[in-house]
Amino acid sequence: MSEIPTLGEFEQVVLLAILRLGDDAYAVAVQNEILRCTGRDVSRGSIYITLDRLETKGYLRSRLADPTPERGGRAKRYYTLRPAAVEALKESRRALVALWRGLEAKLA
Amino acid sequence: MSERLPRGVETLLRFGLPSDQREPIAGDLLEEYVARVRRDGELRARAAVWAEAARIAWRFRLEKTVRGRPLPPISDEVRRAGMWDRVRQDVTFGVRMLRRQPGFTVVAVLALAMGIGANTAIFSVVDAVLWRALPFPGADEIVALGEARPREGRVKGPVAPADFYDWRRDSTSFTAMAAYDEVAINLTGAGEPERLRVLSVTPGFLSAIGIGPALGRDFTADEETQGRHRVVLLTESLWRRRFGADGAIVGRTVALDNHGYEVVGVLPERFWWPTRPDMLVPLALDEHDRTLRAAHFLDVVGRRRSGVSFEQARGEMAVIGARLSADFPAENANHTTSVLPLRDALVGDTRTALLVLLGAVGLVLLTACANVATLLLARATTRQKELAIRMAVGGARGRIVQQMLTESVVLATAGGAVGLLLAVWSIEALRRILPAQFSALPGIDQLGLDARVLIAAFIVSLITGLAFGVAPALVATDQRVGSTLNEGARGTSGGAGGRRLRSTLVVAELALSLVLLVGAGLLTASFWKLTDVSPGFRPDQLVTTRLALPSARYPDHARAAAFYQTLLDRLRILPGIERASATSAPPFSGFDGRLNLEVEDREIESPIPVRAHPRVVSPDYFQTMSIPLVRGRVFNDRDTADAPQVAIINQSAVKRFWPGRNPLGERISVGTPTRWMEVVGVVGDVKHDGLDAETTPEVYIPFKQEFTALGNGLIRGLSLVVRSGSDVASIAPLIRSAVASVDDQQPVGLIRPMDDLIAQSVAPRRLNLLLLSVFALVAVTLTAAGLYGVMAYLVAQRTREIGVRMALGATPSSVLRLVLRQAGGMTLAGMLIGLASAYVFGRYLTSLLFQVSAADPAVYAVVSLILGTVALLAIVIPCSRATRVDPLTALREP
Repeated sequence: MSEIPTLGEFEQVVLLAILRLGDDAYAVAVQNEILRCTGRDVSRGSIYITLDRLETKGYLRSRLADPTPERGGRAKRYYTLRPAAVEALKESRRALVALWRGLEAKLA
Repeated sequence: MSERLPRGVETLLRFGLPSDQREPIAGDLLEEYVARVRRDGELRARAAVWAEAARIAWRFRLEKTVRGRPLPPISDEVRRAGMWDRVRQDVTFGVRMLRRQPGFTVVAVLALAMGIGANTAIFSVVDAVLWRALPFPGADEIVALGEARPREGRVKGPVAPADFYDWRRDSTSFTAMAAYDEVAINLTGAGEPERLRVLSVTPGFLSAIGIGPALGRDFTADEETQGRHRVVLLTESLWRRRFGADGAIVGRTVALDNHGYEVVGVLPERFWWPTRPDMLVPLALDEHDRTLRAAHFLDVVGRRRSGVSFEQARGEMAVIGARLSADFPAENANHTTSVLPLRDALVGDTRTALLVLLGAVGLVLLTACANVATLLLARATTRQKELAIRMAVGGARGRIVQQMLTESVVLATAGGAVGLLLAVWSIEALRRILPAQFSALPGIDQLGLDARVLIAAFIVSLITGLAFGVAPALVATDQRVGSTLNEGARGTSGGAGGRRLRSTLVVAELALSLVLLVGAGLLTASFWKLTDVSPGFRPDQLVTTRLALPSARYPDHARAAAFYQTLLDRLRILPGIERASATSAPPFSGFDGRLNLEVEDREIESPIPVRAHPRVVSPDYFQTMSIPLVRGRVFNDRDTADAPQVAIINQSAVKRFWPGRNPLGERISVGTPTRWMEVVGVVGDVKHDGLDAETTPEVYIPFKQEFTALGNGLIRGLSLVVRSGSDVASIAPLIRSAVASVDDQQPVGLIRPMDDLIAQSVAPRRLNLLLLSVFALVAVTLTAAGLYGVMAYLVAQRTREIGVRMALGATPSSVLRLVLRQAGGMTLAGMLIGLASAYVFGRYLTSLLFQVSAADPAVYAVVSLILGTVALLAIVIPCSRATRVDPLTALREP
């Protein structure tokens, strides 16, 4: 059995959104990306918490960008995936794909 | 339109979010807020951002509860590493700053070193004597017992044999109770005869103090009976010195006072007793002495049974004491028992002196702290720009304060290190000047820097660093960033706050110094008064030594008296010796005793027992000592054993027992059994126990006349007092050879000048005085430096103002007045506070004073004058600099 801890559904969503955003992944962008792709308007608080949690678990790395005037001189926190997150996402996908296989007919 | 979040939202985020999330989230919210304001108007945007911020804060709060760990997601290790990095960085930075200003650093380190060094040295003594465990197992259970006479103000006195035997029989609170007495015994036989210090103890003494013999056995219960008592326990040092650490010594016989004593054991090396005995023998009193209740000469120790509290033991002894008072009213009325922890009994009055000294060094350290704090404040001025810039670019005040505190602690640690060197040196010096009385204190042998003292010094250094660092750091960082940057080159050291703090510190220094000066002044005045006291005899060119004749060769009074008569006759004809006499108790020797006094056909009215101190003397004792004859006659060679018994009393006895009467011709008796002696003379009082002691009633008895059953013992141990034209070094061999010519088996102890004995009696006071004076001197020096520094700084700061004043026509004298007013205000405030504090603290000194009140106005006046003068000297240079300010130069300065 795989030793990679499984990801929660929302954690997968957030990680995928970050992956899609590339260099521009900060909380507001992540929220917008999720809205754009899934239609789900998740609260900002959940985003922050999940980002925080994923960073603690070692899936994310964050850096503070230089402060910009339009943010009142405040830095922006950008996130990128650590290799562990990529592995975990792959594993989740493998599990889901395996589960979906042969069910297309029933759920069509 | 401001690019800022609503104020309340900022606050909400500050309290609701972990610190590392605050900035990016606030940024995100602001970005959105700004966009919303443009789209929906300010009101709706405001409402939205409020709601969003509250939701986010709520989520984090929830998260904290769920995860059950503090908010910041940075792992603990990372945080800790960060902290250590910061500390290391601060220390490195601090060291660099201190090295850049060597003048400042040297002065500050020296000031701190003096404070910390003095504290460490005194702490080591206080710790050794008062706080470290006594060298006995279960020392807390050991108590010293004594007989108290509350009506005479006596807390703990020696115990009469009969009382001791009753206590031992009737008490149940103790696992062991033992009486002991100090005696001198002559070790004869192998090699030179030697006089040894011997502790004569009842069996059970070693159990009471919890020490067992290293070789052989302890005394058995039946060895306190006469006839079985010729056994001895050697101390380790005597066994090594005199018997070559002979492993087979147990069972051998040694000659003590010409009797054979069997060695039953050797004590371990750790055996310690204040009087440093060479050996222990059983205290074996004969049948008569065991029944004595009026002769008090025993000391008693006991060990509390486990489970019996100190109070219970004391309570039981009080009951026993009360019963003995009721049963034997003649001897024991007004007697109670006293039970003290052993340490209290050993340390006695020294405790107060030590605590006063500890308090005094504490004040010195405070002065040093205040001094360094003023220095730091002055230095903060020069760093004003650096601090302003750091704060302008966003350095948190807390972080900068932390960094400045680190610098203070680095400084204090350096001070502590140098202080330790000073302490090592001071302890060495202290050890050398410690009066002989101190050698009886516990722990004094091991005086030195041990782990406890080092830890104490380290803690003191740390606290010191924080104490003098915190105020300057806060004041220096309390500034409006812009104002300092705009102010040009002219720093103001935290502005008004800094100035106020500096003045406060100098005022505090002045007050502290004054307290110390008053203390030193009071002790000085006491010492002068004390050394002014006449001892009642002429001590110069007088030497004394103690002889102890063994009862084996001098079994009766006549033979002992004959020995002394022959010896004195031989001494008197020697060249250089003017007079030679003998006495049972020379002044300042520690030898004393007191017995009941009776006057024939008269009952003396007295609330306290009528007692007098007997002194057995040779006929020309009074001439030898130069004790004045007040009335009647002195003894002469016709006062022999066959002649009518006579006595001479001192003036105190007349005052107490013959007020307004003529004692000459009356008959008195001292001790038991009653044997009447006619009073033939009255002599002047002699200070027997010290210059500060009250004189007591004394009865002199000619040494050839036996006056009491105890007299037999009294005459065997007499002291020689010899007056000569030459010094001790040349007189001592004469005395020794004279004794040897009469009895070559008789050892002679230390021969000491009487002046030395008197000096020794005041030595503890001299030491207190010396130490307190040194502390006061250090404090005054620091204060003068502090005052000078502050005034110099103030003048420098007001140079431009003074220049303007002078340009507008102010005279040098009006400028001088201006500066003096400032200095005078501080000095006056400091001295007033100091005088008030000294008055409050003075009472702790009372027990150390002699004929001087703790509130002695003369001392306060002189001391104020001294400090005032020093303060004046300290401000002379700054003042004269102020009057010489050149208006043009001052105004041209940037």
